[in-house]
Amino acid sequence: MRPGSPVLTVFGLEIRSLIRDVRTLLMSVVLPVILLPLVLLASARMEGRQAERVESRTYRLAITGPDSAFATGLAADLVGGADLEEGAGRRFWMVDVAEPRLALDDGVLDVYLEAFSPDAWGALDPADTAGVGLGPEHEGAMILRIRYHSSRTGSRNAASMLQERLVEVRAERRDSILVHAGFTVPPQLVGAVDTVNVASADEVAGARLGRFLSLILVGLMLLGGSAVATDALAGEKERGTLLTLLTTSATRTEIITGKLLAIMAVALGIALIQVLNLWFFLGLGLIEPGSGFAVTVSPALALGLVVLYLPVVALTGGVLILTSAYARSYKEAQLYLTPVLFGMAIPTLAPIMPDLSLQSAIVVVPIANLAVAARDVLVGQVHLPALAAAWLVTAGAAAWVTDRSVRALHDEELITGDPSRESFLGGPDLFRKRVLRWFLVFWAVALLLQFNLPIRDVRLAVLVNVGLVFVVFPLIVIRRFQLDPRKALALRAPRPGVWLGVLIGAPAALLTGLGVFELTQYVLPVPAEMVEGFGQGLLPEGVPAWQLILLLAIVPGIAEELTFRGVLLHGLRRRFGPLGLAIVVGLIFGFFHFQLFRIPVTAFLGAVLTGVTLLSGSIFPAMAWHALNNGLALFLATIDVDVEALGWWWTAGAVLLLGLAFAIIWWNRTPYPDMKPANRERPG
Amino acid sequence: MSDQPVRAEGLTKFFYDESRGEIRAVDGVDLGCSRGEILGLLGANGAGKTTTLRMLCTVLEPTAGQAWVMGHEVRAEPERVREKLGFYSASTALYPKITPRETLRFFARINRYPGARVEARVDDLIQRFGLADYADSRVEKLSTGMKQKVSIARTVVHDPPVLIFDEPTVGLDVLNAIELRDIIAGLRDHGKAILFSTHIMSEAEQLCDRIAIIHHGRILATGTLDELRDETGLHYLEQIFVHYAQTAPVAMADASRGGGRLAGGPE
Repeated sequence: MRPGSPVLTVFGLEIRSLIRDVRTLLMSVVLPVILLPLVLLASARMEGRQAERVESRTYRLAITGPDSAFATGLAADLVGGADLEEGAGRRFWMVDVAEPRLALDDGVLDVYLEAFSPDAWGALDPADTAGVGLGPEHEGAMILRIRYHSSRTGSRNAASMLQERLVEVRAERRDSILVHAGFTVPPQLVGAVDTVNVASADEVAGARLGRFLSLILVGLMLLGGSAVATDALAGEKERGTLLTLLTTSATRTEIITGKLLAIMAVALGIALIQVLNLWFFLGLGLIEPGSGFAVTVSPALALGLVVLYLPVVALTGGVLILTSAYARSYKEAQLYLTPVLFGMAIPTLAPIMPDLSLQSAIVVVPIANLAVAARDVLVGQVHLPALAAAWLVTAGAAAWVTDRSVRALHDEELITGDPSRESFLGGPDLFRKRVLRWFLVFWAVALLLQFNLPIRDVRLAVLVNVGLVFVVFPLIVIRRFQLDPRKALALRAPRPGVWLGVLIGAPAALLTGLGVFELTQYVLPVPAEMVEGFGQGLLPEGVPAWQLILLLAIVPGIAEELTFRGVLLHGLRRRFGPLGLAIVVGLIFGFFHFQLFRIPVTAFLGAVLTGVTLLSGSIFPAMAWHALNNGLALFLATIDVDVEALGWWWTAGAVLLLGLAFAIIWWNRTPYPDMKPANRERPG
Repeated sequence: MSDQPVRAEGLTKFFYDESRGEIRAVDGVDLGCSRGEILGLLGANGAGKTTTLRMLCTVLEPTAGQAWVMGHEVRAEPERVREKLGFYSASTALYPKITPRETLRFFARINRYPGARVEARVDDLIQRFGLADYADSRVEKLSTGMKQKVSIARTVVHDPPVLIFDEPTVGLDVLNAIELRDIIAGLRDHGKAILFSTHIMSEAEQLCDRIAIIHHGRILATGTLDELRDETGLHYLEQIFVHYAQTAPVAMADASRGGGRLAGGPE
């Protein structure tokens, strides 16, 4: 890029405008510079004060219950002597209250202990003892129950300390009994237990810092970059300078690249400042942070982090400029920014997930993958191939987002605010344009329903989450975009020979899908308990077989097909070729099965069903295939077949049969109508 | 005709509007503008002037028809087209945080003006437009008249052979408007091909060498003022305009369904 080129000229203008805008400068640069040291200082101080308070606090304890005499006997041991007065170094202060529960609610007590003899415990209302697992080894033992108020830190600490103290007292009493019974060796010498943490202090601190570093950095980059990005396009539209710029000889790509570079420079500058901050304040020990942040940051590590975060910077800048491009005014851009900021922050939380490895499906999730990689780098556990893959995935996402921004500058509807032909005419043309947007919103709604509907009965849950949702959605789409239901849902009779292909193909695809699952185990190992738990959830006891078949095979077979091989395929038919359609519709179908381990297999099934629909020109074979697939899977689960034991020969045979099934359908094909012509250029 | 710097044949643009349906904002416009000539595009608000000019400067893509700027077709070579023209309208604003000198440098460089000559060109324009006293103040602090001069200077900074002025005097006081018209006339005298849109009759009369009357997206007549007078037998341009507008085929109005303000421009 030569000096004076349009890209650098636009870049220079953006930076110059930023430097001269005090408010933007404050938000973009000054605030982030101050913020991290403040966070570190606050963290250190809060941790110190918290430790001090926990250390110095005396908690107010009451003992109650039908066998309080036994508990009161414990009291002296609990408080560490006969003196029950509050005093220095004492952890518990016995308080006499008539109504411990009310006192706990009112904050008069921090915690209270209930003591029960076995008989008294047995006499309690079963609802009150539900969930307390007492085995035969507890027979005849006294039962102690700690009651606390989890909304108060003091109460939580008191409960935790009381539990620890009770265990100690129990051990002391047991030892005392042993000694009195003539046990000659002091019990504590029978077997000493020691634990050694092999992680270095830096590794421990790196793991802690790594969990939050990406969130902090991306948050700061978004905060700083958003001010520049909002002005970069939305602000230009509002001022009228975008039209001026678009009439210069700079190309749209040069304009976007120049602006993106400026946003990235600010975002990267902030990231650099923060990494230097870390190095300066932590590495040189100028700040004494909390133990969670006390990591040694060498110059090499700092540089490595900068390189690691480069694609995150590019993607952050790309998303911001895309947001700005889609907004018609400054105000509208700010409106969009709030959900964008939250959306971008979510993947940075990935390192918080316990034991999440970069060598898992997370490697294909932009930003989340590099957030996990950053944690690994800070811990000193780097898996280079996975790290390289993560870097490339996020860089690829950044390139894609940038390309979308360039396209947005070609969109007259966005530049001038005039509706496009599709937006104006509405109907099927507009649906083709908006189909992916609608499915994105539908995915979010389905996700919320799936995990938030308070329905305990599996049958009702399936009926709502599958039967209702996946039928209502296509109906809404058909009505909103005035689609012809027969065309949108591919309600056509297939040629009779297709059904033979379905009969052969459904079991073959199921077995092939199991092979796909085994293959994905190499990349994304799934604990057997997780799969088992999922299966048990779907096969509750006491549900008749006919209901299971109806709810888990027939209903999804019909409802999900209406949505995916119906309106989704119809909406995308002119956007991709047959292979592209199979992949895209399959992937979207997969992502609607929200458990991560199910996505590859369901995406495979979705691609197969899309192929069947495209070849037969009808939705009915896919419905039958889908229902058969689910029914057979249910059958295998019911008879408890060990599919792993089947071996690869079964998979190879299934693949051959699947090929045969497709060949039969091909011979009896009725092509899906109104597809994208093979020689047509990609629009845009 | 083919050596004209600006040429359009059958230029057409449809828009879509919720209340009025499909609007033929520009419907088969043919026009041409020669070197050292100001072609006035005269029409009421919503006639299609801005849309025509935006297609010529490649911001909007024609629905049909073709147009060339210095021999480059607007759809085939949009970057080359923009290199050869300067576009100015009342709605093209300036960057508030930079100075007039920086503004001119920015537009010279982004329009690929030879780097070695940028400073000399900027200094020359600052002197010529009387901007010396304000050259290093921020644009946001300048008066409307000064901003107008900076805007014109930035339009011509890369010395394009074609200039497009879309209702440039909108919002200006009389003195500033006169000064602006003088500047445009001077540019014509330097051999520029100038397209000048306006709905103000007196402005078209005083400034334009030829006038194209545009109504409901169609060119109804093109010629010098004298030619238009001869053709209609009317003396004043206002009378001539009303004559053409009232005798325009009814089908034309029907075709454009609506009229009034058109989407796509400040009209």
